[in-house]
Amino acid sequence: MSAFEEDRIKQLLRQALPPVGAESGPNIDLWPGVLRRLDEKHTAQSQLVQSWLGWVRRGSSWFDWALLAGVAAVTVAFPALIPLFLYYL
Amino acid sequence: MNTHPYLRAYLAGVFVPTLVLPMMLAGFITVRLVLALPIPIERFVVFPMALVPTLWGLWNMLWLGSHPRTHLAVGLHGAALPVLLMPMGAIAASCLGIMAIGLHGVVWFNTVDVPYTLIAPIFLVVLAGYYLVWKYVVGFLNSVMGIA
Repeated sequence: MSAFEEDRIKQLLRQALPPVGAESGPNIDLWPGVLRRLDEKHTAQSQLVQSWLGWVRRGSSWFDWALLAGVAAVTVAFPALIPLFLYYL
Repeated sequence: MNTHPYLRAYLAGVFVPTLVLPMMLAGFITVRLVLALPIPIERFVVFPMALVPTLWGLWNMLWLGSHPRTHLAVGLHGAALPVLLMPMGAIAASCLGIMAIGLHGVVWFNTVDVPYTLIAPIFLVVLAGYYLVWKYVVGFLNSVMGIA
């Protein structure tokens, strides 16, 4: 490649690709927006969990807690039955 | 506007088995490969993977359809599902060769020996588990979906 052709290619490349300057990016900082979106998503998830916990508190009775304790006790006492329970879930 | 309540009931119903199944599969594959226990996973997963989630969804749709007439609580409705599921599961397990009926009890997965005297208590435990899950998980999801 001759020196003339090399200069010509450089010139064409400079014309095709404008220089990266101060005006090339967005005018505002996008990172706070990303953080805000992540925070909103986390808040929505925690709201669902809080909502479920409220549901459990409102609907639970001593009978349900006793049932839960019984199921847990049987599962701990007979761990070999866990695959059988999972088979039916 | 049609808000598709039965579709939402189905989705709320399949939530629990669909959530539990991958964890169950991971557990069984770990047991099979790491601990080298002879549990036939391939035959075992057919029933929980193919039938149980669908039945949970359909059962919740049935609850939604019958609730205006029966006024049955969702927990009690869910506790009735094992009455249908356990014979179906036992038949499927027997056909797939993962359950063998012996003189003194039933042998599951070639490893778990369940005496006949324990079958009724196990059934009651399964009923209790289903009651709790349907009352506190499926009931909540029905509420979130706006159908309860």
